[in-house]
Parts: sequence; C-alpha cells; structure tokens
Amino acid sequence: MARVVILGAGISGHTAALHLQRQLKNKAEIIVVTPNSNWNWIPSNIWVGVGKMTKDQVTFPLAPIYKRKHIGFRQAKAVAIHPEGSPDNPQGFVDIVYTDPTRSGQEEQLTYDYLIVATGPKLNFAATPGLGPDGNSWSVCTAGHAEQSAAALETIIEALKAGERKTLVIGVGHGTCTCEGAAFEYTFNVEHELRERGVRELADVVYLSNEYDLGDLGVGGMTFAQNGFETSSKMWTESLFRERGVRAILRAHVEKVDPGVIHYEELDGSKHTLDFDFAMLLPPFRGVDMKAYANNGDDITDDLFAPNGFLRVDADYAAKPFEEWTPEDWPKTYQCPRYANVFGVGIAFAPPHAISEPRKSPNGTVISPAPPRTGMPSGVMGRTVALSIAERIRRGDQAPLRTASMAAMGAACIASAGTGLRKGSAAAITMYPIIPDRKRFPGSGRDLTQTSGEIGLSGHWTKLLLHYLFIYKAKARFGWFMIPE
Amino acid sequence: MSDVDRSIAEAPLPTAGTLRRRKNLFYQVTRFVAFNFRMMKMVTRAHH
Ligand SMILES: Cc1cc2nc3c(=O)[nH]c(=O)nc-3n(C[C@H](O)[C@H](O)[C@H](O)COP(=O)(O)OP(=O)(O)OC[C@H]3O[C@@H](n4cnc5c(N)ncnc54)[C@H](O)[C@@H]3O)c2cc1C
Repeated sequence: MARVVILGAGISGHTAALHLQRQLKNKAEIIVVTPNSNWNWIPSNIWVGVGKMTKDQVTFPLAPIYKRKHIGFRQAKAVAIHPEGSPDNPQGFVDIVYTDPTRSGQEEQLTYDYLIVATGPKLNFAATPGLGPDGNSWSVCTAGHAEQSAAALETIIEALKAGERKTLVIGVGHGTCTCEGAAFEYTFNVEHELRERGVRELADVVYLSNEYDLGDLGVGGMTFAQNGFETSSKMWTESLFRERGVRAILRAHVEKVDPGVIHYEELDGSKHTLDFDFAMLLPPFRGVDMKAYANNGDDITDDLFAPNGFLRVDADYAAKPFEEWTPEDWPKTYQCPRYANVFGVGIAFAPPHAISEPRKSPNGTVISPAPPRTGMPSGVMGRTVALSIAERIRRGDQAPLRTASMAAMGAACIASAGTGLRKGSAAAITMYPIIPDRKRFPGSGRDLTQTSGEIGLSGHWTKLLLHYLFIYKAKARFGWFMIPE
Repeated sequence: MSDVDRSIAEAPLPTAGTLRRRKNLFYQVTRFVAFNFRMMKMVTRAHH
C-alpha cells in the first residue's frame, strides 16, 4: 500500500491529510508528522492576544481526529529528508525526532512514496536581537504567545487606568517580515480594547512596519473601485489610521529591541529609537531547520531548499529585476523539480520573489515585505496537492498534476479591527489575482471588479463565522469537505 | 510630524453617515450577504 507522509499539521498540511484520506480511504497509508499535539486556527490568535478568546477556543487536540479518520499521527518534528533513500533501498525517507512527551527525543526513519512538506515558517526571532517573548517584545504567532501578549496588555491597561501615559508599539520586527496584515489587525484590536476600557486618551498607539506605504500588506498594495473612483489601499488604510488616531512608522527595519527601546533603521538609511511600554512585533519567517541528504550521504540541503530555508518547487527562481517579474514565475503544481514525489505547500514552499517592490536602504539593508501566503491559498494548495497525489496513486505516475497558482487564485482577507457582535468591525478585503498580472489587468495588475475593500461590523461577523467554520472543518465533522478552503 | 503621519492627517475622514452605516445592523446584514457571496465566488473559482 502506498504511503503518503505529510510534514506539518497546520492549515495546508492538515487540509492535505483530510483530503487524501477522503480520496483514498484504505488505498493508502497517510501519516502526519507534526511537533504540536494541537491544531491552531492562527487567525483567531489576534483575539486571544487581547483577551477576548482563550487558547482553548482557538486550538484542539489532533490525535482524536486522526484516530477517527484512520490517519497515522507522529507527534514529532522532521529533521532530515532522504529523497533518494539509502544505498540499499531507493525509497525516500525522513528522519523524525519525537516531541511526544511519552517518547520525547526518540528517533525514527519514516519511508514514504509521496512526501508533502507543509512545515510552515520558523519564527525567526533570532534575526533581531531582543525580539520576541524570550526577549523584550511580545508575539501573537502562536496561541501561547498570544496569551502572554494578553497578560502584558492587561498590565498596561491597569497602569493606564491608574493615570499613567503609555506607548504601545505594534508591527513587524525586521525589514524582511511578512504577515503585515496580522500586525495591522492586532493594532486595531488593541486600539479598540483601549477604547472599550476607557483608557484610550492616555495611550499612544504606534504601528511600525517595513511596508513602503500603509495598505501595502506585502502584496504591493491594492486598488479598489469605490463610489466611481479608483481608490488606493494606501488612502483607504490611512483613513482608518486617521479615524482611530493611530500613528505609523513605515519603511523601517528593526535592528534590535532593548528593554523599552526599539532601535530601527529607515529606508533613507537614518537610524532612530522609539521608547515603548508594550511592543508586539512579529518575527521574520524562514523555513524550518531541515536537512536533505543524497543516498551516498552527501548534504543536498542547498539543492532541495532555497537559502531562506523554504522548499524549492516548480517556480522560476532565476533572479530578475522587479520590472521583469511575471505571474508565470509562481509555482503551479508545488512539485519539487528534482524529486517528483516531493511537494511543498503553504508557507513552506519557496516563493520565486516578493510581490511588493523590493527596496534597500543606502546601507544595504533590505526593507520590504516578503510575500504573504495566507490561509486561503495555503488550504487550496494543500487540497490541490492531495488531489494530485491521490490521482497518481490511483492511476499511476503519469496522471497529470492539478494546478493552483497564486497568479490564478484570489484571496479574501478579513482584518479584524475590534471584536463585539454589535461593536466589532473589520476591514474585509478580496483581491484577484493574488499575484498582480499587469498584462491582463493594466494598471494595478488586479481585476477591479473582484478586488474590493470595505470596513464595517459585517466584516467582524464574517471573521467570526470563518473561525467557527474552519474549526468545524478541521475537526473533520460531518460534511467538512463541503466547506471550501 | 513625519511624512507618514502628515499623509495620514490628510487622508479622508469617514462622514458621520458612513460611520453610522458601518454599525447599522440592517445595512450590515446586506453587506454581510454581499461580501460572503463575493467571497464564495472567488473560492469556487480557486477550486477548479
Ligand atoms: C497572528 C497571525 C494571524 C493571521 N491571520 C490570518 C488571517 O486572518 N487570514 C489568513 O488567511 N491568514 C492569516 N494568517 C496566516 C496563516 O496563519 C498562514 O497562512 C497559515 O497558517 C499557513 O499555513 P501553513 O500550513 O503553511 O503553516 P502553519 O499553519 O504554520 O503550519 C505549519 C505546521 O508545521 C509544523 N511543523 C513545524 N516544523 C516542523 C517539522 N520540522 N516537522 C514537522 N512539522 C513541523 C507546525 O507545528 C505546524 O503544525 C495569520 C498568521 C498569523 C501569524
């Protein structure tokens, strides 16, 4: 029986596992390897970070789901891939090390017929000295981090209530970060919380980002058609900042975070400091630390993975200037070029380049967002690769692969700007395609009829609906597959 | 004031009517339906 091993049980890996099981039932053995025992609906971590949800509301244990679905589960982390197998057995395998408390540290070699790498990002706090919960700032990247942020925020609110002035800085902690959307959401959720608690007047809320303009969000900004005008996401976002009284520092690379002081460089090369009482700064992402070896033991990590640690797939990685970037550079099947039975999905695949225009300061510091790979495309990639593999297992190695290029895919992004069934709000954005195509859509590169943004209470309802729908789906409850990724 | 903050200060402010509409339950229900319809259209396009 063919065996499919999936590394990572996040949005993309877990989606792939469920679809593979549904497609193949008992025709294949499906094994998921992931270091965490829980699944996390990461988008709702924002609400954990302001104390509006608990960790338990955004996570659930994976083991019972996999047991019910007859999917093998190893609570372990993959440390190396051997795509050519060993000298006496050409079947590929992965080295895993258990994180399961009952067998922590034990090693195993897991052979596979097909491998899906869905390991998401390594939260690279180490890139910026002092960044992160082990340093001098907070994070909302995991539910645990978000809980810590909520506790720290509560302390600040108490001090504000006592009449002290406080500066809260929220943003990204390095010039090459991605996920500005999450920083934006947390900024406005914190601002909303401060208002709800009656302490907004004494708080200075500052958004600190590597974006060139507000509203860039790592996708080079957007253009919306509104009231008969083409409106830029820059103006649209600036309007929200003005309305809510949030200051912004843009084009910034955080160099280090000392206790209470952020040191940053701006795109013009100038260096600054910013004092803070509370800082939530997202880390830059890189691929998780995995090695790769040929069957003779040679280290082939650099063949399999790009320098940023993400898996090379069927993208065009030739270096070229911004003006020459095309939608065709982006991968379609997510198949590894050297090993046809290895695929990379979600954040784990190496993008060919950024989406936003790349920029460097006169000191050579890169200050521009890396390309985001949000939940919706990550889920679609997981499902697409699952269907490709299921087809190959059923019909043989020549069965055509399915495609799901980000250049032919839209995305919906609901950026929460505060919670509450009556008082909440969110910026609800749709864009098509994710990767701008200036030949098809001269000007902004996106279809104006399908790229839109609006702010209001209904956005909050949608975000809440997605929270419940996606947790239902991830629990593989009745009819889960009818809920699209 | 930095260039960025100056640009924010010059951005259009929503009118009182816009702010009311953003919170008006009846209007927001229609926006909810419209947005989810648009999102579903986009999602079904991605699932070919
Ligand atoms: C705070 C925050 C808010 C966000 N909000 C939104 C939003 O509102 N909408 C949206 O669309 N997107 C949002 N995103 C982005 C979204 O979370 C990601 O797009 C999505 O999680 C990517 O899915 P993934 O499967 O690639 O990675 P992940 O979901 O990160 O999953 C990776 C998995 O791999 C596992 N893993 C790690 N190392 C190994 C290893 N060595 N071996 C095996 N397994 C390993 C991890 O434990 C994890 O289970 C947000 C992100 C953040 C951080």
